[in-house]
Amino acid sequence: MKQTFYYTAGGVVLLCLAPFIIGEVYLNLLIEIIIYSLYALSFNILLGYGGLLSFGHSVFLGVGAYVTGIILLRAPDFPFLAVILISGLGTLVLGLGLGSLLLKQTGPAFALLTLAFNGIFATIAIKWKSVTGGDDGICIFRPTINLGAILLDTTDVTVFYYLCLVLIGGLTFLLWRFTKTAMGHTVLLLRENEGRMPFLGYNPALARLILFTLSATVAGIAGSFYMLFFGTVAYNIIGVEMTAIALLMTFIGGVGMFFGPLLGAAFYTYVQNLLSGITNKWPFFMGIIFILMVLYQPKGLIGIFSGLVSRIGSLKRRTSQEPHSGGPIR
Amino acid sequence: MSQIIIFGLHGLTYAGLLFLIASGLTIVFGMMRILNFAHASFYMLGAYLSYTLFLKTGHFWVCLIVSPALLFLIGVLVERVLIRKVHSLGLVYDLLLTFGLGYVLGEIVKWIWGTMPLSVKVEGFLAGSLTLLGITYPVYRLFILLVALGIGIGLALILFKTNLGIIIRASVDDSEMCNALGINIPLIFGGVFGFGVALAGFAGVMAGPLLTISTDMANMVLLDAFVVVIVGGLSSLGGAVLASLIIGQLQSFGALLIPEVSMVLIYVLMALVLIFKPSGLLGKKG
Repeated sequence: MKQTFYYTAGGVVLLCLAPFIIGEVYLNLLIEIIIYSLYALSFNILLGYGGLLSFGHSVFLGVGAYVTGIILLRAPDFPFLAVILISGLGTLVLGLGLGSLLLKQTGPAFALLTLAFNGIFATIAIKWKSVTGGDDGICIFRPTINLGAILLDTTDVTVFYYLCLVLIGGLTFLLWRFTKTAMGHTVLLLRENEGRMPFLGYNPALARLILFTLSATVAGIAGSFYMLFFGTVAYNIIGVEMTAIALLMTFIGGVGMFFGPLLGAAFYTYVQNLLSGITNKWPFFMGIIFILMVLYQPKGLIGIFSGLVSRIGSLKRRTSQEPHSGGPIR
Repeated sequence: MSQIIIFGLHGLTYAGLLFLIASGLTIVFGMMRILNFAHASFYMLGAYLSYTLFLKTGHFWVCLIVSPALLFLIGVLVERVLIRKVHSLGLVYDLLLTFGLGYVLGEIVKWIWGTMPLSVKVEGFLAGSLTLLGITYPVYRLFILLVALGIGIGLALILFKTNLGIIIRASVDDSEMCNALGINIPLIFGGVFGFGVALAGFAGVMAGPLLTISTDMANMVLLDAFVVVIVGGLSSLGGAVLASLIIGQLQSFGALLIPEVSMVLIYVLMALVLIFKPSGLLGKKG
């Protein structure tokens, strides 16, 4: 526990100092990683904690991005934080609606349905040209933040980086706290033994709906940041490819581990950046890594990492202990 | 009037193709409880293999036999090497694994054949068209329809009328007991999975001359096939027939009457089925 705290604290300090250490190119990459971590995190709360495999997760990322884009296209001076908040609220409502419809099914049927709803939203994004811009998509500029005394120019990379770090970091912390609350533990029951929940007085359907809505909201906020960062969105944000990214990041990092997706997002984005310069076959290698993780290392990179740490620790203390349990997903 | 008949026939043709794809999916799920997410990728692989075979041999018939045979071997191999490892871990792991497999297969196809669309041309009798009662229609489309009909009947006969069908169905119900009775369960499961994959490849070969062979053909058909399976009921072969017919007609007449929103129609159908009969039109409860 203490170890985890030190690692986290060290990571936070490094992230805060990053703009002074690395150049603008890598700072942009780091922003991308942070935004993708939030997206992967939202996917992991659904799959890793609730045991729900969704192939339509990109719907919420896309809707969040589109809401942000549409607002800023119509009103370029709309308050920065309000845009993010409205996007999050939008996907919250959408998540609640879709969740109450889709969660009648679980397992493979649920996965298929989410995929089909992915198709519906992709079609809407292409066909509803007057709002979504159709094939061309939407382009926007980041609004400035006016705090009365100070004006924050968000088009500056460093400023935007700190904004992302503080806001997404704060949200990540809140989510981490959530997993430690009674509700967070209830959600784990869904994954571990759903049949027993009603006997203990819990309502699995309600817990699942809350989890789905939470995950949708967080993905929507990630989408909002995505839009603010890239400044452009097109219909292909809602699709199997974007959902695949969430899946790959989550599994490479470690499914069911809170910090797994963060590591996965960093690994994925960095390796993609590295490999795409050398070969255009990089998705192939990502796919192979994914399959290997599913087959042999469901706890992902975090599992490998903490396995090494505990092995070193046990050499010292001669006691081996499993640092954290990811648990099987059903 | 003749236009309505032609669009009806278009719908039937597409239904035939959809059934060819969905039947493999349904059988594998119904028999083994494995939802093969890579199914559409195997369909694509079948189409691409048929392109290469067609270049080498020049006969469409060769593709129609050799390509599914190759895919059968690939399917058996995949089941033995990959799926057997995770199958005991639960349904979601099968999905994840086959999802990754589909992803990798898509990349392999891009790697080998490139991203340019390719086409296969049928020769001789199949390339012509037939005129009946003042309506001219391509023979190849009718051929797809007939083949789908034949495969459907053949599958039903094998599963419900032969010894092999009885063994397969029994293995599904109680695999341990069947194993104890001296039936080689791993062999049966490998065979069923390989057969499902071969069906996907067969559908791919059939689709080649009708549609273009491209790297997004898997994604284009993936959703339709899954909608067929959901609407029909996850493990019901009869449901797959019914749903294919409905969706084929919806697609065809949707494109004729309301082209802007035709794509949404099948999803609306799916949502309705989900709300009123979550187990699918002909699916069993639970």
